[in-house]
Amino acid sequence: MTEASSRRLRLPRGEGAGAWLCAGSVALSLLALLALLALLTVRGLGHFWPSPVELVVLEDGRQLAGERVREVPLAEGDGVERLYRTGNRDLDGDRWAWVRVSAIEAVSHPADIVVLERRRWGQAIGRLAAFEAAGGERLEGEAAWPALEARLDELDALRDARDRLREEVILPLAGQRVEDSAERTLDAAHARLRELQAAMAGGRLSLATADGETLSVPLEQVLGARRPNAMSPLDRLAVWGDGVWRFLSEGPRAANTAGGVWPAIFGTVLMVMLMSILVTPFGVLAAIYLNEVAHQGRLTRLVRIAVRNLAGVPSIVYGVFGLGVFVYGIGGRLDSWFFEAALPSPTFGTGGLLWASLTLALLTLPVVIVATEEGLARIPDQQREGALALGATRLEMLSRVVLPMAAPAMLTGVILAVARAAGEVAPLMLVGVAKLAPQVPVDGDFPFLHLERKFMHLGYHIFDAAFHGGDVQAAMPLVYATALLLVLVILVLNLTAIFLRHHLSTRHGALTRR
Amino acid sequence: MLDSPPPTAVRRRLRQGRDRLATALITAGGIGVIAALLAIGLFLAVEVVPLFWPSGESSAIPPEALWGAGEAADEASRHRWAPTASLAPDEAPRISLVPLAWGTLEAAAWALAIAVPLALGAAAHSSLFMSRRLRSRLKPTLELMEALPGVVVGFVAGLVLAPWVERHLAEVAACLLLLAPGLLLAGGLRSRLPPRLQQSLPLGWAGLWLVPWLALVLAASVWLAPWLEAVAFDGDLRRFLEQRLGFDIAVRNALIVGAAMGFAVMPSVYALAEDALSGVPASLAEGAQALGATRWQTLWKVVLPAASPGIFSAVMIGAGRAVGETMIVLMASGNAAVMTLNPLDGLRSLAATIAIELPEAGPGGVHYQLLLLAALALFVFTFLVNTLAELVRTRLRRRYRRLGGGS
Amino acid sequence: MPLVKDQRSSPDPAAIIDFPPEASSLAIRGLSLAYGDKTALRNLTLRVPRHRVTAFIGPSGCGKSTLLRVLNRLHDLNDEVVREGEVTLEGEDIHAPEVAVAELRRRVGMVFQSPNPFPMSIHDNVAFGLRLQGGLSKRKRDDIIEWALRSAALWDEVKDRLRASAWSLSGGQQQRLVIARTLAVGPEVLLLDEPASALDPISTLKIEELIRNLKSHLTLVLVTHNMQQAARVSDYTAFLQHGELVEYAPTDTLFTNPRLARTENYITGRMA
Repeated sequence: MTEASSRRLRLPRGEGAGAWLCAGSVALSLLALLALLALLTVRGLGHFWPSPVELVVLEDGRQLAGERVREVPLAEGDGVERLYRTGNRDLDGDRWAWVRVSAIEAVSHPADIVVLERRRWGQAIGRLAAFEAAGGERLEGEAAWPALEARLDELDALRDARDRLREEVILPLAGQRVEDSAERTLDAAHARLRELQAAMAGGRLSLATADGETLSVPLEQVLGARRPNAMSPLDRLAVWGDGVWRFLSEGPRAANTAGGVWPAIFGTVLMVMLMSILVTPFGVLAAIYLNEVAHQGRLTRLVRIAVRNLAGVPSIVYGVFGLGVFVYGIGGRLDSWFFEAALPSPTFGTGGLLWASLTLALLTLPVVIVATEEGLARIPDQQREGALALGATRLEMLSRVVLPMAAPAMLTGVILAVARAAGEVAPLMLVGVAKLAPQVPVDGDFPFLHLERKFMHLGYHIFDAAFHGGDVQAAMPLVYATALLLVLVILVLNLTAIFLRHHLSTRHGALTRR
Repeated sequence: MLDSPPPTAVRRRLRQGRDRLATALITAGGIGVIAALLAIGLFLAVEVVPLFWPSGESSAIPPEALWGAGEAADEASRHRWAPTASLAPDEAPRISLVPLAWGTLEAAAWALAIAVPLALGAAAHSSLFMSRRLRSRLKPTLELMEALPGVVVGFVAGLVLAPWVERHLAEVAACLLLLAPGLLLAGGLRSRLPPRLQQSLPLGWAGLWLVPWLALVLAASVWLAPWLEAVAFDGDLRRFLEQRLGFDIAVRNALIVGAAMGFAVMPSVYALAEDALSGVPASLAEGAQALGATRWQTLWKVVLPAASPGIFSAVMIGAGRAVGETMIVLMASGNAAVMTLNPLDGLRSLAATIAIELPEAGPGGVHYQLLLLAALALFVFTFLVNTLAELVRTRLRRRYRRLGGGS
Repeated sequence: MPLVKDQRSSPDPAAIIDFPPEASSLAIRGLSLAYGDKTALRNLTLRVPRHRVTAFIGPSGCGKSTLLRVLNRLHDLNDEVVREGEVTLEGEDIHAPEVAVAELRRRVGMVFQSPNPFPMSIHDNVAFGLRLQGGLSKRKRDDIIEWALRSAALWDEVKDRLRASAWSLSGGQQQRLVIARTLAVGPEVLLLDEPASALDPISTLKIEELIRNLKSHLTLVLVTHNMQQAARVSDYTAFLQHGELVEYAPTDTLFTNPRLARTENYITGRMA
């Protein structure tokens, strides 16, 4: 080979070409996975970061203030359009503004721009014009901001005190007001509650928006106020942490486009817990039957294949089964026997927590059965014979030797089942999930756990906020955050299962190597 | 000698009784649980019966109606799914399941078209070339990919990917066109590197170090897209597609569904195909390599034929998953029951239809029964496909054992 | 040894097994056994003497392990097994419906080819069978555990680490632990299924010594591949082939003066 030809760039041949395409498919899959996770992480966590507010002056003299969201090339011609989140939906009818970049005259970041989180109408953005305390005292200009901040902190403390009072004193007593002492405590508590309410009432602020209008907001509508442009990075971090915490701990607002996902987290966890309580004993029982008790003939083999295949049956089919058998069949029957008074409005004859858990338990049953059976099959027969040879009955052999050894496999199966159930949405749409459940299924009323109630679910929350919300644009950041949360939960569960399985196989190695 | 006291007769009988009771309970419970599982198919079948053999006053649905009434003028309007539409008295009910079945199969086909090459390529790479360490890490990683909930994948596909693709058709086309050449270029460039550098980029780890390279290639294709659009598609790919090829372009279309579902299905196909490939007895491959075949030739001539039943069953399992996947199709397909071959048009699948319509359909009505029929169809299809795959796999495993033992 | 006549001088094969029936612990009469349609044992009849070591030898697949498993009904686990004939333990039919299998297995202990300690501590392994029987104070149980470990010549090696995992022991120690575990429940018969085949020579010698010591109060039945081992430890030896009993005699007679050519071929073929 001459020097020149060896230097020429050669495309790989023979062993090469196909090999590189194959390697590429691994890389492409990994890239897609990474991109998806990165997208969720960046968008999901980034939403809580207080981004600076830009004050934009347009060519025609109009002004607007908002957070920059993204840029999109114009469909016709050159140029780019920029999307701003401007808030103030009660004034403009829209909380978004598209601006042609070429039409922008000047962009600045004034430190005194205030972003308000409101109970209704979402964000408001503008300059603080005036703060009016409950007593009617009015502060304007620079003095208004510290006063507002102080008052908001005060309100926060008052709200906390009120919630605590409600939860710790009033609710427990409300059910049992028989004794005089209880009555007196309750009255005192109500009096205190009224005091707190009175202390919270009153006060308002006016906001001068960028386009020159004035917005007057009562203070009880205000959830928080910040001046993002004046914040230090540390302040921003604190606001970010606070935002994440509120996302995790609060209920949704504004038709699921704002607020947090606490009820959905609660519903998901509760439903999954109920499901694993149901699926574990039954799955283990069926696996023990198949592997230890049943005659190992053709029929058992067929049943085993069928059970395995049921793991591949679409989840929506399980949902249909749950709706037809649990909700309409058993639920309808229960209603006509025990809840006749409430008819025609159904109690158990409609989707609810119990039916959802049962359906998902059925759906994940094959997972638990298969995992447990694998664990049981891995235990050498010598262990069983050793126990029997010592005079153990079959029950003693199973409960003292076989099941303890198969425990990690069972646990793996249950965790995989939980991971699958936590991400399943389709069957829930049929058997009991709710867009917005006003009542959490657990409360202080007897019997405390309300199995017939509908519940919220993280996965369904994603679907609902992304597709049925009025303002998809506004819901997107929350959907990203919810999706990230769901993915994290499922990743952690799966990693636990993988770890357990690894642990199991090394222990099994010790067993066979000996 | 110290001896344990002989156990009392009472205790012995107690233990025996407990054992018998437990065995009976396990048997009853086990059979009960399995029966409950298998009852799913039975329930669906029983509920669908009145549709064809009605009792009492309701009239039977003519089976032809399900695959499309004959009278309608053109092909497209013959197959209509609108079971709740109010009809003129003499109009045939619009209850054709054909468009839904079509949508289901179309989505599954596109998903497989994307997942199968990716999965098989990855499986071939990891069983033939990949370093053992990377392989033991790749498997759990792809398992995690499989565990990603459909609702998240569907959300990203329907609300992020779909609008982006709609605005950037040319970029997508450029990415697709340049992907393979980009990979080959990587191989070519590597062979030109000094040996020292080549060794630090081994083929066994290519799955990993190609990731940034691929990202680079994709970025380059996006950058080159306007040029490509100008040269090949008269400056505007969208207009080119709409006017030259007569394609309607929907934001959420079959290709998006295929990409998203391909992403979701790929790991399970990969896992099974990889099992099949790496299960081929080493003696077989070594025999071919001893005769002077390259690893790549060995793959094509020896390993692939030997593992083909396993790969077939992997694809079958993938098909079963793709047909039944609900949330991805629901969120990324647009749910319009149209029957076209155009991959840029929307579709509506059986599973998504059940999810949308069943909560509104009252129990016992025709609409309800039709949806249960759809569920039955899904059940039967996936069950059969999975059983077929399982049987093929069992047979293959037996064959490997023979081959492995014989040599 | 009043029950067993010295056979070295007697050339008469018919008089070889001459211990009286009441000296036998286990008696097998006309035993046949098949797995499905595969016959494993054909019409076997023999008696196993009390407090002696009886060895079963024969080529692989001759049915000697199967025979052993019949003696404590472990074949019950496999429901394809078809059995004919009778086995009695101290005169009681072990397959009679009123016999509790678990109790039978306590009386007829078994030690397997490869050691199978449970994944528990050494102490708990030995206590396993005792706990099943119940009715023992902890103190009494600990006494029995110590006695069992001493009987299995393991006490001195493990007395300081009774709480350690049984899987941390060496193979030979594990096998002696399994023997101790079996001794603890007070069996009358101990079945040993090639107990030393997975062990090194030194451990093997220890096990053999243990077997010789145990026959003072136990009936032992040993299945082995190893002809020398049978010659070293057993009092009687039965040679099985193709599921049939070929020859059964006091060990010395069988090895020095086999009655049948088949036996001689097997023994010399292996011993040469």
